[in-house]
Amino acid sequence: MPATLGLVALAAQPLMLSITHYLFLSVALLLVGFVGALTRRNLLIRLFSIELILTAVTVNLAAFARLFADTAGQGFAFFVTVIMAAQILVLLAILTAAFRPCQDLTAVDPQEPPPAKTDAAIGKRSQLPS
Amino acid sequence: MLSHTLQTLRTFMHGDGALLLPELELLLFAVGILLMDFWVTQKDKYWSPALALAGSAFSGSTLWMLRGRVLQSGDLIGVNETLVVDAYFIFFSAIFLIAIALVTLLSMNYPRVSAARQGRYYALLLMAGASMMVLISAVDLVVLFLALEALAIASYFLASSPGFTMRPRPSAVPFIFSSALGSALLAYGFSILYGLSGATNIGKIAAALTRRHNVAKVIALSRQSSSPGTQMYQLLQTRLPEALHLHPYVLQALPVAAVALILLGMYLKFYATSLRTPRETSGANISHPVVLYLAGPCVIAMLAFLLRFLVTVFADSQPIWSRFVAVLAFVLLICGGIASLRQTSPLGVLRAASIAQIGNVLLALVAANEGAFTAITYYLFTYLFILAGALAVLVVVQKNSSNPDSEVDGLRGRNPIMALLLIIFMISLAGFPPTAGAFGRYLVFHALVETRHRYLAWSAAIVALPLAYSYLRIAVRAWRGLGSGDAADPNREAPAPISLGAPEAIVLGICVFVSLAAGLYPEPFTRMAHYAFGQ
Repeated sequence: MPATLGLVALAAQPLMLSITHYLFLSVALLLVGFVGALTRRNLLIRLFSIELILTAVTVNLAAFARLFADTAGQGFAFFVTVIMAAQILVLLAILTAAFRPCQDLTAVDPQEPPPAKTDAAIGKRSQLPS
Repeated sequence: MLSHTLQTLRTFMHGDGALLLPELELLLFAVGILLMDFWVTQKDKYWSPALALAGSAFSGSTLWMLRGRVLQSGDLIGVNETLVVDAYFIFFSAIFLIAIALVTLLSMNYPRVSAARQGRYYALLLMAGASMMVLISAVDLVVLFLALEALAIASYFLASSPGFTMRPRPSAVPFIFSSALGSALLAYGFSILYGLSGATNIGKIAAALTRRHNVAKVIALSRQSSSPGTQMYQLLQTRLPEALHLHPYVLQALPVAAVALILLGMYLKFYATSLRTPRETSGANISHPVVLYLAGPCVIAMLAFLLRFLVTVFADSQPIWSRFVAVLAFVLLICGGIASLRQTSPLGVLRAASIAQIGNVLLALVAANEGAFTAITYYLFTYLFILAGALAVLVVVQKNSSNPDSEVDGLRGRNPIMALLLIIFMISLAGFPPTAGAFGRYLVFHALVETRHRYLAWSAAIVALPLAYSYLRIAVRAWRGLGSGDAADPNREAPAPISLGAPEAIVLGICVFVSLAAGLYPEPFTRMAHYAFGQ
């Protein structure tokens, strides 16, 4: 009974997150994003990885803005979010236009010309389970 | 209502708008070109480049007027202390405007761009130019990030499909991703700097970073259980409560992390420039004028931004970041040298070696004294013209050739003047006297020796040897051809002579003049370089 009461009391306390917690979250997002952007070959996943890094930036800025009770950081975070959206739009537009004939979003070696997909390969891919 | 709007506009143009006028003029001309594009016919295809040149000229004249104001009343700060107009901004903006003019002239007769309704290409050039100028002028993290991203988005379009004349190539994707990843890491570095200082203005950040050693000591003291520790804790609670959340080691490590992330981001952006070349489906390199734009002014803008940022924000920790910069410079020099040796096409060599040229500039930044700043500005200014000249020759040769990768071979037989010009540019890029490239290298090494970095200067000279070999190989190929293999082939048709159009001739004339004059009589050029730093 006392143990249950203790747990209830603990749950009733407001959870205090210090700036260090936010920094840890942000560093974790940065690392996941960085490793993903370098190692994955699928371009959409690479794009998401870059977006993860930008999300880490937003977390940092929002946390610091709250710490300093400063609106400049919030403004900066807002700009980062807007630019992130604009960049995604542009990158997706270019990727869609570039890879439409290939029907594959696997990164190519810059030294090699893009592989031409045969009809058989495209058909085989379309039969794969989603 | 209209008079009120006009009055507001007039007030803006007399205040903050005057500082932004060179950029605004470029943007206005870009919009004008886009509008003109709707009713331009094939016969009027020269309207767009003419407007782009006019925009550069107008912006240049406004810069000249701003120069007078800066001379009269010192640096001008405005737009809520986010932009500054000083000699540094004026010098580099002039470089960007010259680059826009050179690229426009080169593009006028380029088959893929010279068709009607290609105003988008010239508009993008002007918009990217305006972004570069804002990047140099900005002294606030938010504006810096905005300018960097605006420049990046414009260069994505230019690199993937110059002038929107062809479908974007998948080979442009590595450039885009490397650049986007670089931007993201830079933004993370900026967010750390904001967290350390609570400000976005780089002057205020610099002041906060100078104080951070004392703050770290105070935080460490406040964590002790002794009486002075308790007093310090109470003092911090009243004066700087947010500092209580930070560990002193974190406070010391965060600036190092910020510098490392910013330099890594810049490395990825520089590396991206080596992947910038648009390619045909056959895999051949295209000597498109836009290559000059991405390898020249875009790189110069990022280097100039990095220089201002490091020197302003991290002035007191120069010994620490100079080590990072030295490592980055050698990585770029070695990677560029090896990559250029592996290339067979002239454009491939120029592309790979441009990374090493960035390394040369960063080497001067290690010295970070007055001589080093002169060396950097002189080097960047002359490098633009040398690179423009070399790429102009390749563009003209490719326009008249079927196989772009080998048509430089035996150029002497097709157009001896162009062969001679290409040799001059290659000798200059390799760093042999009496060219501008040689004097630029001398200034860099002199700055290093002056600051007791002799070993760095010697190592850089040795590392630059493969680079010089790659450049000289192109010069030899242009003069003699590939050798016996070509001469022995009796079925090979003699290539047609190459004719030179007026815009290309103007570009080549200007570039060869600067390449030789800056080497033979460098005094006016070094004076310009001094001006950029207000010396």
